[in-house]
Amino acid sequence: MREVHWKLLQYIAGIGIFFLVGYHLIFSHFQSDEITEWSSVSDRAANAGWLTFYVLILIFGIYHVLHGIRGIILEFSLPPSAVKVLDWSIVLIGVAVFGYAVYIPINGFIG
Amino acid sequence: MEKITFKVQRYNPDKDKKPYTQVFTIPFKHGMTVLDGLIYIKENVDNTLSFRSSCRMGICGSCGMLINNLPMLACHTPIEELKKDTITVKSLPNFPIVRDLVADLSSLFAKHKSIKPYMMPHDMAEAEKPTAEFLQEQLQLEEFVQFAYCVKCGLCMAACPTVATDKHFLGPQPLAQAYRYSADRRDCGAKERFHETDTPHGIWLCHLAGACSEACPKGVDPALALQLLKRAMISDSLRLRKKPAPPSVAQPQAEKKPKVAVPEFTIKRPGAKS
Repeated sequence: MREVHWKLLQYIAGIGIFFLVGYHLIFSHFQSDEITEWSSVSDRAANAGWLTFYVLILIFGIYHVLHGIRGIILEFSLPPSAVKVLDWSIVLIGVAVFGYAVYIPINGFIG
Repeated sequence: MEKITFKVQRYNPDKDKKPYTQVFTIPFKHGMTVLDGLIYIKENVDNTLSFRSSCRMGICGSCGMLINNLPMLACHTPIEELKKDTITVKSLPNFPIVRDLVADLSSLFAKHKSIKPYMMPHDMAEAEKPTAEFLQEQLQLEEFVQFAYCVKCGLCMAACPTVATDKHFLGPQPLAQAYRYSADRRDCGAKERFHETDTPHGIWLCHLAGACSEACPKGVDPALALQLLKRAMISDSLRLRKKPAPPSVAQPQAEKKPKVAVPEFTIKRPGAKS
């Protein structure tokens, strides 16, 4: 993939975060009487729709944040070899964070 | 105001470890530009002062300097407009100093060259042996004409905060020129230029600070060019960009007007044959 594709995904993730987090705020905090705690999240994640919703927020959020951080680090005049190291480090961090964070909704879904 | 004080950056890489400031107080004349002041200093006070200039009318782009902490053309900056008795003049930031106020712009020219700033015609045979001129409509011209006014003075590169942090970043001037040529209907090299600008240190590092457009002495809006280039590149990557039709060649005139004859000399030189 070229840089333009990564940037396009960054824009899509940003738009996705706007709508998904907006939906989450409205339906989970403003229009709901649920107590904000672990059990509420776990109960919601038992539903396949909410599980998909949470996983999508995670993917969009992690991608948007890590791609943004990559852009900031690139401005330190990195040579091409260091850019490759940076890219792979970012991918590894992203996979690790996703794996750790997705445990909560998956655990709620499995019960 | 009868006198004006110039605080000029001096630096000789053979002698000095780092740049220092030298103060000159010179007589002021109505309508004087910063370049006029520097020329006065060189001719009357200190002939070792080095600066670059040529046309004195904002066309060649040679005299780009940091004047009162803003990148400007010295010939295009009347002292009265600065509204100060003291003027600070330094060489352009984001470029190495050759000597005093002379900045080394070779990185700008290398980056400019890398984006292939020339026409890549659809019909090479027609371009090399033209039979007539390519037709271009007014609206087609307006898509890029303002970006063609660039004089390569380097002020936008000196103003850009991303160039300041990342020396590999292509910068506003080369990227704006990449758009200028790619938007021209006579050109078919957009794909090649997109390839050159779509790099980790390419167009996507632009923060849209807009400092380049503020600094340009020719009224070019490089920030707009970069946004248009981003849009064109994203459209191209999604295969939504329409391939521009090759420009048509003007039809040869059916009847050529006869050339107007050269008039006879009205004054007869003595001894000339009639």
